[in-house]
Amino acid sequence: MSEPVTEPRDKSGEETERGLSQRIGVHSGAASAVEDAPRFERGEREAIFRLEDVQVSYGPKPAVREVSFDIAENEITALIGPSGCGKSTLIRCLNRMNDLIPSARVEGRVLYHGQDLYGREVDAVEVRKRIGMVFQKPNPFPKSIYDNIAFGPRVLGMKGNMDEIVERALKQGALWDEVKDRLKTNAFGMSGGQQQRLCIARCLAVSPDVILMDEPCSALDPISTGKIEDLMMELKQEISIVIVTHNMQQAARVSDKTAYFTVELDDEEHRSGRVVEFDDTEKIFTNPSDSRTEAYVTGKVG
Amino acid sequence: MSTDSQAIGRPSTSRRAKDRVFRVGLLACVGISVLLLGVLLYDVVKDGVDRLNIDFITSFSSIDADQSGIQAALWGTIWVMGVCAIFIVPVGVATAIYLEEYADETKWFNRLIEVNIQNLAAVPSIVYGILGLAFLVRGPLSLGPVVLAGGLTLGLLVLPVVIIAGREAIRAVPPSIREGSMALGATQWQTIWKQVLPAAVPGIATGVILALSRAIGETAPLIVVGAATFIAFNPDGLASDFTAMPIQIFDWISRPSNDVNDYRPLAAAGILLLMILLIAMNSVAIWLRNRYEQKW
Amino acid sequence: MARSHFQEELAKLEVQALGGLDLVVGALDRAIETVQHQDVELAAMVISDDDRIDGRYLEVQQGILSLLALQAPVAGDLRIVAALLHVMKNIERMGDQCVNIAKLVPLAGHEPPADAQVLENIARMGAQARVQVIQCKQAFDRRDVALAQDLVRQDDEIDRLNREVFRLALEIGDDPDTREWAMHMMLIARCLERIGDNAVDIGEQTAFVVTGLFREFEDASHPELAPPSTA
Repeated sequence: MSEPVTEPRDKSGEETERGLSQRIGVHSGAASAVEDAPRFERGEREAIFRLEDVQVSYGPKPAVREVSFDIAENEITALIGPSGCGKSTLIRCLNRMNDLIPSARVEGRVLYHGQDLYGREVDAVEVRKRIGMVFQKPNPFPKSIYDNIAFGPRVLGMKGNMDEIVERALKQGALWDEVKDRLKTNAFGMSGGQQQRLCIARCLAVSPDVILMDEPCSALDPISTGKIEDLMMELKQEISIVIVTHNMQQAARVSDKTAYFTVELDDEEHRSGRVVEFDDTEKIFTNPSDSRTEAYVTGKVG
Repeated sequence: MSTDSQAIGRPSTSRRAKDRVFRVGLLACVGISVLLLGVLLYDVVKDGVDRLNIDFITSFSSIDADQSGIQAALWGTIWVMGVCAIFIVPVGVATAIYLEEYADETKWFNRLIEVNIQNLAAVPSIVYGILGLAFLVRGPLSLGPVVLAGGLTLGLLVLPVVIIAGREAIRAVPPSIREGSMALGATQWQTIWKQVLPAAVPGIATGVILALSRAIGETAPLIVVGAATFIAFNPDGLASDFTAMPIQIFDWISRPSNDVNDYRPLAAAGILLLMILLIAMNSVAIWLRNRYEQKW
Repeated sequence: MARSHFQEELAKLEVQALGGLDLVVGALDRAIETVQHQDVELAAMVISDDDRIDGRYLEVQQGILSLLALQAPVAGDLRIVAALLHVMKNIERMGDQCVNIAKLVPLAGHEPPADAQVLENIARMGAQARVQVIQCKQAFDRRDVALAQDLVRQDDEIDRLNREVFRLALEIGDDPDTREWAMHMMLIARCLERIGDNAVDIGEQTAFVVTGLFREFEDASHPELAPPSTA
C-alpha cells in the first residue's frame, strides 16, 4: 500500500516556504488513505488534489459518488463520461463553487496540497483565489478587455502595476497580440473563441495554482478549440488543469490522465454517477482495464 | 395549368375578408384612443399656449390673473422631486438588492415582503397622503407640512416602482456573470457592487425616472400632507412650506373665472408645462434605456 | 502552428522509424563483411544486434498505436502513420535477412572452396542492396516519388545479379564441398535480393504517402505493370 503524500518539507523536516504558502487557513490534520484508490508512489509527480470517497448530493439522493483518485500537479486531467454522470458537479467541488447552490451537500474529503478544502476554518473565497474556473459558455464581463482582466487582481487587492499584470495575463493567455491595440474596447466585441481565451486570461491574472475547465470548448468552432487546446498544453507547465469534456477526442488529445465516469440508475430510477476507471490517458484509449470504459470510448455506449 | 402540378392557391375570399375586418377593427380602436387624446391635447394647447412664456415661469401666483405665474409651484415641484429622488434611490435599490441577491425565497418573511411590494404599488395615492399626514407631518416625526414631508410621502408612494424596476434590472444580469466573478475569488458583496449593480444601472435609472414622472403628477397626497395652495415664495429649505404644480393648477381651476380675472388659460398653461416636463423625463428614460441597455 | 504537440510527436515517430534503416545499413555492412572474411565472431554480433532493430520496431509500433488512439490523425497525417507501420515491418524483415545471412556463414566452413566470381557477385549485390536501402530512406524522408520509383530500376540490377549467382552455382562442378558452399551462397544472394525488394516496398509507401494511391511498382504476378525502367 502506498504512503499518503505529505506537504513539501525540506531536509530538516521544517515546512518550506512553499509548503506554508500552500496552506489555506489552519492545518486540519493528515490525510487518511482509502483502499484501492489510484495513488502516486513516492517519487512520482506530487498530487495537487486527493479525492477520498467524495459524494455530492442535491437532495436526499447522491448525484455523484465513490470518487477517489489523485490529480497530479502540472498535468492535464480529463473527466469524461455520458451526460448526467456528475463530472461537472464534481469539478465544482474542487473550488467550492457548489457552495453557491444552497441544497448542495459534499461528503468525503477533498484535499488540496494535503489540506481539507471543506474544513471549518477554510474560507471559500480564499480557495477560489488559487483554484480558478472557466465555464462552458464564455462569460466576459460587460466591461473593457482591460477591466475584465484587471477585475480579479483589483478585488483581491493584488499589489503591482496593473498594466503589467494585464499584459502578463494576456500574453500567458495567448491573446496579447490580437488585442493589445484595443484594450479599452468592450469585451463583447470579440469572437467566441477570443472571449473564452479572455476568460482564461482573466483566471491567469490572479496567478492560480489550478484552473478548472468545465467543457470550455463546447460552444466554440474547431479552430478556436484548437487554439485553446494548444494554450492548455503550454499552460500545464506552470499550472495544473482539470477539464470536463464530453468530447472524447479532446480528452485523448490533451490530457495526461483521464477519469471515466458512468451513470447508474438505482431501484427508484434515480441517476447517479461514479468513477469507473482512472488511469493514464494513453492506457484508457489504447487498452482500458474496464469493459465499461472500453464500451464508452469506442462509442458503443453513452 | 394541368391538374398534376397544382399551383399554390390563394386564400378564399371569406378568409381574406375576415382578416381585413380584424385589421380595420384594431385600427379603429387605436384611432379612437388617439383621437380622444388628440382632442384633449388640442383643447389644452388652444387655451394655454399663449400664456406659456417667460413671464409665466418667473411670476408668482397672484389674484390678478394677468400677473399670475407658476414660479413658486415650479420650484416647489423641483424641491419635492429632489427629496423624493434622494429618498427612493438608495432605499429602493437596497431593497431590490436584498430581495434578489440575499433573500432566501423559502423563508416566510421574504415571501411576505415580496407579496406586499406588489400590493403597495396598487394602493391609491391618497392613502399615502394620509400615511404621510399621520406619521410625517404630525405624529412621531412631526415635520409639519414642509418640503421634506411632501418629498418623503411621494417617495413612499413610488418606492414600489423603483423596487420592482430595480429587481427586474438586477434579475436581468445573467447568473454567469456572478459565477464568473465569484470564481475569481470575489465576495458576494464585491460581485454585487462591481458587477451586478453597474450592469443594472440603466434599468434602475429608467425605473427611477419613471417613478419620478409618476410622482410629479400626484396631487391628492400632497394636498392631504398640507401643501399650500397659495404661496408666493420659492421653498428655501427642507423645512419650508411649499406648493406644487398639480396643486397650483387645481387651485386655478377651482377659482371662479370672470372677465376681469380669467384663470383658465393659466391652468392650461400649467398643464402644458407639466406635460412638457413629463415628456422630457420620459424621453430621457427611453434614451437611457436604448443607449445603455445591455444585450446579453 | 496549431496542434504543434501532435506534429512534434509525428515528426519524432518518423525519425525513429527511418532511423531503423540506418541500423539496417550497419547490419548489412557487417553481414557482407562476415561473408567476405568468413568471420564467425562478427556473424554472432550481427545476430545479437538484431535485437536493436526488433526493439525499434516495437517502440515505433507502440508510438503509432498511441498516436492513432490519442490524436486521431486524418488525411496526409493518417497516410504517414499507416505508411510508417508498413515501413517498420519492412525494416524488421530486412534486419531478419541480415541475420539469415550471418547464420549461413559458419555453415560454409573454415576453408571453403571459394569461387571468385560468385564472391564478386555477392559483393556487388551487397553494395547494390546498401544503395537501395539508403535511397529508400532518402526517398521517404524527402517525399520524393521519382526517387522511389527509381528503386525499381535499381532492383532490376540486384535481380539480375541474383540470377547470375544461381547460374554460376548450377555450373560450379561436381565437388560436393564446393556445391554445398555454392548453395549457401545462393541462399545468401536470395537474402540480399529480398532486402532489395523490401526497399522497393518502402518506395511504394513513399508514393502512397504523397499521392494517396497505393500501387505496387512491380508485382511478381503482373510484370507488365512495372514502370518503364530507364535504360
